[in-house]
Amino acid sequence: MKCDYCELIEAEKNAEIIYQDNDIAIVVKDTALTPGQITIFPKKHYTIMENAPEEIIQKCMRLANKVSVAIFESLATNGTNIVIQNGLGGGQKVPHFCIEIYPRQENDGLPLQWTSKKLDDVDLETTFNIIKEELAKEEKEEKHKEDLKLQVEKALKEDKQPNQKTEQQKIENYLVKSIKRMP
Amino acid sequence: MPEMTEEQRRVLEEKLKNMSPEELAKLQKQQCIFCQIISRKIPTKKIFEDEKCLAILDINPAAKGHLLLIPKEHYAIMPQVPEELLNHLTTISKKLSQILLRALKVSGTNIFIANGPAAGQRAQHFLVHIIPRKELDKIMDWDEKLITKEYQHQIGSLVESKLYLLMGLDALKREPTLSVTPEDELPTETPVKQPESDKENSTHKTAKKRKFKHESDKDHNTKKDNDTEREIKKESKRSDVSLDDIANLFK
Repeated sequence: MKCDYCELIEAEKNAEIIYQDNDIAIVVKDTALTPGQITIFPKKHYTIMENAPEEIIQKCMRLANKVSVAIFESLATNGTNIVIQNGLGGGQKVPHFCIEIYPRQENDGLPLQWTSKKLDDVDLETTFNIIKEELAKEEKEEKHKEDLKLQVEKALKEDKQPNQKTEQQKIENYLVKSIKRMP
Repeated sequence: MPEMTEEQRRVLEEKLKNMSPEELAKLQKQQCIFCQIISRKIPTKKIFEDEKCLAILDINPAAKGHLLLIPKEHYAIMPQVPEELLNHLTTISKKLSQILLRALKVSGTNIFIANGPAAGQRAQHFLVHIIPRKELDKIMDWDEKLITKEYQHQIGSLVESKLYLLMGLDALKREPTLSVTPEDELPTETPVKQPESDKENSTHKTAKKRKFKHESDKDHNTKKDNDTEREIKKESKRSDVSLDDIANLFK
């Protein structure tokens, strides 16, 4: 079964496409939380943000910024929200990474605002430690990967160099020989 | 903050008027809570830091592990942020989102940006929220409603003309694979690049022209369509709010 957004690009079904290039499409969907909502998504199918390559997400975000300004000026809103709903828990409805831009008005009552919780110090501290730990692990892994990469590169270089040398020696030897052969 | 008397306010306004842009920017920075966080005047739970940005735990979070990603340079609103920095922030957001997913064993995250007080931007310093989410946590959930094709089309053309101007593109040069309706191909309807001062007006005119065309083309206009037309018209009238106005709302 095809995903809704992939189908949308291919069949141009249920949506008004505002802009598209090789990577990205900007559309007005046939469903919305609030009229004026615009959706940006990569044409290639990436289920969640973690699957999408960095350049694509960056391009989506740059365009989201532009669309946000366009909404400000053309629909006369007081503000916009740029939201990535990532994963089922994040409220993602279609399994295709996208950025949504919602136009906002003063006191529009849209459910785009959360109620702040008060966390006690212990809770804050434990959460902080858990995240820090994970980040440290991640950074260690990244460093490990980079080290490996460096090692591989180094090994490759060393592999190549002796070959080059022998080739050069051969050439030199040939030259020396040819010179010697000269009367 | 205590209420100001009429006299105090007048003095302050006079003072603000006489300030140079540089002085104003400096004052804004001094008053900005996030700039104070970055210069370590206010203690926070710092999760991540590099030369361009800082991520901290929100002390009044939507959920445990709610992060704020703050650029170190002071930008009041998102359109002021240079593209390069925006790219960097996007990359870091993705990284932090991944960390949250793994560390807190949640089933999703929200990357959330608020532009303007109406959208929930509380401080005059652009920042990105990264919120860990679980199903049924009731933090931000909604169902989308169906909207009519006509309305879709109107929104599309209104936003499109402005967007193409911003991107420096000509709307006529759309790829042939696009769903170009005949009315879109009429040269009278394409937004033409105008001098800076005329930009705003011209787009509105273009938008209105499009709308007019749209109305005359359709034989049948249901009551619902009329309502949406009116809504759009109402919106167009109020569209003189510029980005600077949005930024100034904070003051």
